Amino acid sequence: MVGKRAREDGAENQEPPYKRVRPSKVDHLSRLSDELTLRVLSFLPISELLKCQRLSHKYHNIGADSQLWKSHYYNRFVRPRASRLPGIKDIEQRSENLHFASKASRWLDDEHLVRGGRKTNWKRQYKLRHNWSKGSCAVDEIAVAEQATVPPLVVQLHDGIIYTADQDSLRAWSAKDERKLLAQRSFTNSRHGPPTSLAVDTTGGEGSTSRLIIGFENGAFGLFYLDSKAGQFTSMYQHEASSNGVISVVTLVWPYAVTMTATQLLSIYSFRSSSEDDSNTKMLDPPRLLHSLRSRTVLPPLSTSLRTNESGIVVSIAYSMPTYLSGWTVGIQEVRIDETGKLLESRLASAIDQHYRSLAFASPPMLHHLPGPAIGALATSTATELRHIHTKPTSLSYTHPYLLVSHPDNTLTLYLVNSTAEALSISAGSRLWGHTSSVSGAHVGGRGKAVSVSRRGDELRIWELEGGFASSAAKRRLATGDLSVQLRPAKRPPPESSQAGLDLVNTKDGEEAEASELTLTRGWIGFDEENVVVLKEQSQGRQALVVYDFT
Amino acid sequence: MATEGDQLVKLESSDHVIIDTDRKTAERSMLIKNMIEDLGSPGEEPIPIMNVSETVLRKVIDWCTHHKNDPPPSAEDDADSRKKTTDIEDWDQKFMQVDQEMLFEIILAANYMDIKALLDVGCKTVANMIKGKSPEEIRKTFNIQNDFTPEEEDQIRRENEWAEDR
Repeated sequence: MVGKRAREDGAENQEPPYKRVRPSKVDHLSRLSDELTLRVLSFLPISELLKCQRLSHKYHNIGADSQLWKSHYYNRFVRPRASRLPGIKDIEQRSENLHFASKASRWLDDEHLVRGGRKTNWKRQYKLRHNWSKGSCAVDEIAVAEQATVPPLVVQLHDGIIYTADQDSLRAWSAKDERKLLAQRSFTNSRHGPPTSLAVDTTGGEGSTSRLIIGFENGAFGLFYLDSKAGQFTSMYQHEASSNGVISVVTLVWPYAVTMTATQLLSIYSFRSSSEDDSNTKMLDPPRLLHSLRSRTVLPPLSTSLRTNESGIVVSIAYSMPTYLSGWTVGIQEVRIDETGKLLESRLASAIDQHYRSLAFASPPMLHHLPGPAIGALATSTATELRHIHTKPTSLSYTHPYLLVSHPDNTLTLYLVNSTAEALSISAGSRLWGHTSSVSGAHVGGRGKAVSVSRRGDELRIWELEGGFASSAAKRRLATGDLSVQLRPAKRPPPESSQAGLDLVNTKDGEEAEASELTLTRGWIGFDEENVVVLKEQSQGRQALVVYDFT
Repeated sequence: MATEGDQLVKLESSDHVIIDTDRKTAERSMLIKNMIEDLGSPGEEPIPIMNVSETVLRKVIDWCTHHKNDPPPSAEDDADSRKKTTDIEDWDQKFMQVDQEMLFEIILAANYMDIKALLDVGCKTVANMIKGKSPEEIRKTFNIQNDFTPEEEDQIRRENEWAEDR
């Protein structure tokens, strides 16, 4: 055993020259190599790590180490998910370095981060996910229209760019940083009437370019191409007006486009030209109509999506559906066609009726066909309860396998769609509680992340719905209402003018709370990696995009 | 009964002091283990441990003696996936109750001699000294020079505020 005294003696006798300088003032910690310092920091939780970054420039740099943050990111956000998802549980056991392996990241849909390799700023990613999980964000607004527009302008958000279209023009805004207008293009053909639907091709587009499709009131539709670097929209194709009326839903997955009219006519087009010249700037040849369908039962709100596989093209239409005995449910139709447009298969599924109750509720038939407020004499207690349970959805969002429906009765319902070569089915719905007022819009993404907004726009919630509710842990979370967090926008410095968009619930200032009464959301809500965007309309008709920034 | 593990190993510190130990203890250090394996046997010549002084080397050998029968570290121990806890077993905690200079000498020695478990105990000890302190207290503890301007410091504080409610 070496006693303290002996050690000190030893140190005095044999200490190397660098230690001789006033031993009590030596910065021992800084003698460690960066690698060793990193090892020390690796034992600290995030809050301590951030604190160490404040010590000096040296620790600021070391504390930002990407590997350090990457391992925190994986431990907090990826590994818990890995164990939640079936089929990759074995990763946990074979841990070692495998949790960074491409297989896991592919499964977990994080490959874009891993592919970024060294360039990924893991600290930033960690903070982003942290803020999402806490609902912390900054709020900003983009005023898009001073006047009310009928119909309201249409909006989409994809990959950091917000697309809006109204009577006059198509515009693109950056959702990041300064939120500036990236590109603008006037609609020259006013005969088309206002745009009624807009979709961005989420599959294609390299870097700063993207394709989008816009449907118009008179049945026309147009394809546009955005080069955000050049700040320019280019018209790729204009389809003539059609007697089938308003185009209510569009989908674009190059080279295929799907349009759905309000009269429930679905058309699938192919833009594949004979020449393989895929130049984006030249005008496209008219597309070939591959297939069309008409439906009598598919009611809005609905959502279409398109995917291609080796055997052809699959178009899915998710829609809400009235039933005779138990109100509204959802259905899905999948149409599979080959490249020539030949119908290969069409199949239907609807959710198992979750609302089916005892016969007592069976007496007032077809109640759902009555318009809401005009129920009058029928508004008995039974009727009220019925309407409460079976209200018509206000929005529907489908990103396979998640089908999320919002209701005016403060709830959302999540369905899981199962689509295999053999069968198509929809699980029973799970009610999601959390909102305290009518939900007007919801959007679900591929990883089961969803965002919903109340009609007055004063309550936004983020949901983690990954994997549905098959596992007991998820059921527990469902039961405890522990599935969502409410957005907590950071308090901003005093607004320059009275901004009615800042009226979030936790801002209790009387003035702003009053303003919220005048603000409505039009049910459109979208999100990407970093932002949630909501379209709000104020009583004077002024429309604004509210951007909630999580970075 | 002399087994391989009981073979005498001579180690020479940076200040040329020869310290005797047994092979099993010495092989807690991957540096020494690899050397002995390269040589085939410990041999008669002392093994030079160039960067470690006698006092520190004795302290390190104390640790190795206490831990000489520990199971070999599994591959998992070094994965980033390991649970990052700063829990330290009692004996090690007592062992690490030394002045700062010695603590850092041990860390450097453990790193040089490639003794992962000891290195981790050392790093955890330092991490525990950081935990719960304010940046100013940490600077004071380790005599770290604050080379930020007040503006820079303020900016970093604000940048890193987001995790404070955790």
